[in-house]
Amino acid sequence: MLTLMAGSHVDPLTHQTVNNFLNKYTLLQMATDASGFAIMGVGATIVIIAGGIDLSVGAIYALAGVTMAMVLRAAGPMGTVPTVLLGLGTCIAVSLLCGLANGVMVIGLGVHSFIITLGTMWILRGLAFVTSQAESILVPNVLTNVVRAQMGLSEGLYPVPMLVMFVVTALGAVYLSRTVMGRHVFAVGGNPEASRYAGLNVKRVTLGVFVLSGLSAGIAAFLGAGFYGSSTSSDANGYELYVIASAVVGGASLSGGKGSAVSAMLGAMLIVVIRQAIRTLHLDQNYEWIIVGTAMILAVVIDQSGTKLLSRRLAAGRAASRSM
Amino acid sequence: MAGPAVRFSGITRRFPGVVALDDVSFDVAAGSCHAVCGENGAGKSTLGKILAGLLVPDAGTIELLGRAVRFSSPRDALQAGVAMVHQELALCENMTVAENLCLGAIPARHAFVSRRRLHQRARELLTAVGADTDPGRPMSGLTVAEQQRVQIAAAVGIGARVIVFDEPTSSLAEGEARQLYDLIGRLTASGVTVLYVSHRMHEIFRLCDAVTVLRDGRHVDTRPIDGLDEGAIVQMMIGRKLDQYFPAHVAGAPGGELLRVQGLTHPGRFEDVSFTVRAGEVVGLAGLVGAGRSEIAQALFGLDPDAAGTVHLGGARVRIRSPRHAMALGLGFVPEDRKRQGLVLSLLARENTTLPTLHRLSRRGWIERRREREVAEQFFTRLGVRQTLMEAATSALSGGNQQKLVLAKWLAADSRVLILDEPTRGVDVGAKAELHAWIDRLASSGVGILLISSELPELLNLSTRILVLRAGRLIGEVERERATQDRLLRLMTGLASTEAVA
Repeated sequence: MLTLMAGSHVDPLTHQTVNNFLNKYTLLQMATDASGFAIMGVGATIVIIAGGIDLSVGAIYALAGVTMAMVLRAAGPMGTVPTVLLGLGTCIAVSLLCGLANGVMVIGLGVHSFIITLGTMWILRGLAFVTSQAESILVPNVLTNVVRAQMGLSEGLYPVPMLVMFVVTALGAVYLSRTVMGRHVFAVGGNPEASRYAGLNVKRVTLGVFVLSGLSAGIAAFLGAGFYGSSTSSDANGYELYVIASAVVGGASLSGGKGSAVSAMLGAMLIVVIRQAIRTLHLDQNYEWIIVGTAMILAVVIDQSGTKLLSRRLAAGRAASRSM
Repeated sequence: MAGPAVRFSGITRRFPGVVALDDVSFDVAAGSCHAVCGENGAGKSTLGKILAGLLVPDAGTIELLGRAVRFSSPRDALQAGVAMVHQELALCENMTVAENLCLGAIPARHAFVSRRRLHQRARELLTAVGADTDPGRPMSGLTVAEQQRVQIAAAVGIGARVIVFDEPTSSLAEGEARQLYDLIGRLTASGVTVLYVSHRMHEIFRLCDAVTVLRDGRHVDTRPIDGLDEGAIVQMMIGRKLDQYFPAHVAGAPGGELLRVQGLTHPGRFEDVSFTVRAGEVVGLAGLVGAGRSEIAQALFGLDPDAAGTVHLGGARVRIRSPRHAMALGLGFVPEDRKRQGLVLSLLARENTTLPTLHRLSRRGWIERRREREVAEQFFTRLGVRQTLMEAATSALSGGNQQKLVLAKWLAADSRVLILDEPTRGVDVGAKAELHAWIDRLASSGVGILLISSELPELLNLSTRILVLRAGRLIGEVERERATQDRLLRLMTGLASTEAVA
């Protein structure tokens, strides 16, 4: 997602066009492309499991990105470590505040999160626009050097976004499966009333998931701005839908109570792979949206019918074993 | 009479992990009221749903008045003259009574709804079943009994020849249930065939001509009701002899006062309610549906911020702000509606058991999975739920097992005072006896219990004393020795004015 580059890849060493789908450049590039969707997809999955939805992640991404770029510009040239710390700190602080605002409004105003975050999607995008005055702001090279670190790989390969994606996914998975908060997220999404009757603090859980979703957008914004070397208020426009698509392709249920961080990452990868395949196979790029949309619906339908098929087989199996 | 109204032949239906119905065959005589009974999970509701077109059988055939039918939707069934009155109400709550009644055929003129004709038609249908509900009222404002009547009116209105009732009295008070029995009697007298799914013995004997017993999805027997007694049916249902439904209460001397409620008031719901619960006591709370029983329970559990009055727990005055706070004070609450309030059906059985106490089974926010397992195992064993169900989806468990999970939650939380709101509703005979034994055992171990129940025999057998509530006010307290069904009913309905020793 980070790039909307042409489909075929130019090998930096031989300067030949590589059209092979399964080469390390394409694979790593796809992982890099998927990283932003996947990182925000983990946040979105957590919100969706809790029974909510967050449409504002694209706008949080843009606001965090431009704020970071402006803060770094104002701070002037610094060493690598202070630049990264200040940049990441700014992104995280902005995104946490945005997530907190979403959460506070959802629980305080008693309005469905779809509406609240639809509102903040525009508000935050507007804030990004106003603060940056629609200007594209460069971020220091030292930051780009970190995000585009080669880590011993050959030229043209940038593994950092992918590695961060793996780490965020792992953290999300552990949060959901091993922590009390994670269990509470599943409970509240499954049945908020029963959760309240069981003594859970439903409001705190709701607040928490929006903060985490915001945070995931902040991390993605840091990587995106670093990777491209600049930020503008129109960054990540429309990404919220890709992010939600990643979560639901990964099996998250919009009615709450069901979902997985690892599957959300795989969902993001699937979407990027499909897009990449369209380019590699030289299909008419005008069909890209039609194919992505169809694939998303199919993926969810197959996932659902697969679950049904499996449970029916289990039923038949048990019936057979019982009659013996 | 010429042939059966309904003939089931070899009906089989599987669900994930269970065979709900296994080769079930029997006939239902035309114009009869035919009971289908069995424990929860025996497949009786599944059979009703298949007849009403809500479920499609995996194998087998249904003949309706001599003709083979195959319903793939409730619409098919309705067109063939089979309607169902649901256990969990299936009406559009946001619409009016009239709209619900005429949903299939709203009278219209050039696509515009004719309100006058709509209401007229609805009134006709309602009168036919002896209801005087205003057709313009929103469905959501009706009591369960009134909603049920609307469902029956709708069934009669489409000219249903067969009506399936799925445990229709499970949320009705005694008086309302009696009115329903009369109506069903009139229906069968007019030639309608009734398939009556229930496991309540007294209803079956009162209403039905024949009874079919299912056990574990298999057909045990179909017999005319004459010549059977309760014991025989129960024995067929559970496949073994059950000495007593209700084990005799082992009365111990009550201990110190655990809960004192004074002047609890929420205008319009309940007023000036005062009572105490001592350690080792089971205090029954009787009243008609709508008398404010559940509302009082909810107020005690911190779910009603507008309730006024004072509450003492273990001698200390408390102001319970939330369920979370109530729990911390040692209060447990088994709510009336286990699917909506009691359990998170999408979680695993184990996860529901430990939900309120998970923070105690964790270190710095990390779940200690071994301890969680141990606690769940311990309560599964104690309550007699198979260990293999621990990792099962809660939604796949039987009603009895689900109810045991709700109880297990609060046992795991070491509650000192337990409020039980209809703890055995929709639970089969075997599980009910086990739950009763548990309530008794808990009281003997020093827990104070407030028991709300619509089943008077349950209250009479378990309670140390019974408080009677009418229209939001406590109007009497009856000691165990003097409590009879008749006395309670008179107080609940207002035939007797007061019986005060509170």
